[in-house]
Amino acid sequence: MGEARINGKPVSLAAAAERAAEILSQARMPVIAGLGTDAAGARASILLAEKLRGAYDHMHSTRIFADLDVMRQAGLMVTTPNEARLRADVFLFIGKDLTKDWPAMMERLSPAKIPPFDLVHEPRKLLWIAPGRGGAKGEGLVETLDSSDLHATLASLRARAAGRAVNCAKGTLRKLDEFAGVLKNARFGVAVWGGDGLDSLSIEMLHGLIRDLNKTTRFSGLPLGAGANASGVVQTSGWMTGFPVRTSFGRGFPEHDTWRFDATRMIESGEADTALWISAYGPEAPPWRKNIPLVALASPQTVFAWEPQVCVEIGCPGIDHDGAEFARETGSIVGSLASHRSQAPSVADVVSQISKHLGETPKC
Amino acid sequence: MKPLVFTLKQEPDQRLDLAPLVPHLLDGQSAKEIAEIELQTTRERATVGDTFKIRPGSAESIRFEGGSTRLDNIGKDMKAGEIVVEGDCGKSFGRSLSGGNLVLTGECGPFAGSAMSGGRLEIAGDAGDFLGAPLEGEMEGMTGGLMIVRGNAGERVGDRLRRGTIVIEGSAGDYPGSRMIAGTLIVLGECGTLPGYLMRRGTIVLANPPELAPTFVDCGLHELAFAKVFSGLLRPESRAAARLLSRPLARFAGDMAALGKGEIFFPA
Repeated sequence: MGEARINGKPVSLAAAAERAAEILSQARMPVIAGLGTDAAGARASILLAEKLRGAYDHMHSTRIFADLDVMRQAGLMVTTPNEARLRADVFLFIGKDLTKDWPAMMERLSPAKIPPFDLVHEPRKLLWIAPGRGGAKGEGLVETLDSSDLHATLASLRARAAGRAVNCAKGTLRKLDEFAGVLKNARFGVAVWGGDGLDSLSIEMLHGLIRDLNKTTRFSGLPLGAGANASGVVQTSGWMTGFPVRTSFGRGFPEHDTWRFDATRMIESGEADTALWISAYGPEAPPWRKNIPLVALASPQTVFAWEPQVCVEIGCPGIDHDGAEFARETGSIVGSLASHRSQAPSVADVVSQISKHLGETPKC
Repeated sequence: MKPLVFTLKQEPDQRLDLAPLVPHLLDGQSAKEIAEIELQTTRERATVGDTFKIRPGSAESIRFEGGSTRLDNIGKDMKAGEIVVEGDCGKSFGRSLSGGNLVLTGECGPFAGSAMSGGRLEIAGDAGDFLGAPLEGEMEGMTGGLMIVRGNAGERVGDRLRRGTIVIEGSAGDYPGSRMIAGTLIVLGECGTLPGYLMRRGTIVLANPPELAPTFVDCGLHELAFAKVFSGLLRPESRAAARLLSRPLARFAGDMAALGKGEIFFPA
């Protein structure tokens, strides 16, 4: 049974929801942060933000916008892991955190197996840029290229693949040309990236490479994205407001701004004066360093820097209760049944209860 | 003609959108009408009258006495006239500016001069990240006009610059001139890592270049006639920029990863 507390003292869920509604409705500018929840939880939270005329943000926004900013300013060509496993004759892995990000990645992509839908039955060619320690171990023959600066390495590789001059040492140049040759000769190549090592500029460079390669062959991308259902929450936000996260209802209509509605920035600058923190997938604590009134819907065992005014322990989607969330395996939102059904409430349950105390119409 | 003066009463407790306070929107409005204009971005109402003491004058020339980093969109869509801000301002100062003169004596937040297409924008203090850059989902940054920053600027100044000139007299953060399409960016102070990343065309002039990306290739030393002409044009706005342009300059072409028709110059 999930437990609810007001100022650290155990209370009933109903009492906690009522107190939470009171705290949130008194705020000048409330912000819903974290947002690690399934589609139903995100939907309830965005409806609550509209009622409160507050803003909402996700805990992994930096990673979300590294990909999304490229998508909306330059375009991205992406595929699904299944398509990649079945057809790709070349994999280009980038970054050292890929298997940490997605432990089942190697199982899903099976890079060491011959792609069944490729007409030429040959083992895949595997390339890995900046694999770090252990990144490229035990999965067939991997050609690696170490990089101290992914920006510069990806730029040089793209330039060599386009047949243009670059200014680097002979050994590096030979290696770059070898990589560029494999990429250009791919029948269907897939670049796989993820982790904190890439920002929107390096992803735009990588995508430029993919676009260049598509002039003569087929090549696509597979971004691993961020955890805590980041992609699912972004899609939910998209179909509800037309915008991704970092959106505010302050003026009564949704307004998106990646700088102004960064939850941590809003709180530390004093613009947001109350926060609702949501983390159903793990005991993540709020990242800000300022003690403001806080309502938390968090996993049990979350360690907070300051005890929240109201804290409700919630269940994990797909474990304690059924959920619908973005699955990397298929690249879409899928439903999952509870594996260890429990009494712990879901984010959607608790947020709806809070919302009931706020009346029907948005408060102006 | 007397200017229209807005004196800030106190630091606002929410971010305010000052987009309505530009000459072409205030022209012909009485002080009373102006005082009623709403600026809030949260559910708490905040009008011009709540926020500023207004001294009536010609809307062709607007002065803000006292600023705050919470005042966004000052000079947005300005077409003509003048706005002078004595103090700091927030995000998107001079956003989509197309004409007139916009001056800030203090510091500003990110996206100053974002997508400006004409006019003159001067920042006496420091500017934030993404100077002149496009906002979320937009394809082009600054497309014309002149921007001068006397202090330092943050990361990715001149991102997706399309046309126009940016002069930074102080230092610039990382990736200056990222994704430039055309136009000119001049940095007189220090410069952060990887200038001109993903640039297609355009010109970057750096007084103190960092190590360039391997995708910029040496094209030798030049004494360009055009740089001298441009130097003469810039002299009234920035003597130091004019001096830099009149020196012999080393030219590197790039970003070879993108189109490779851009150039970075620095004194040899």
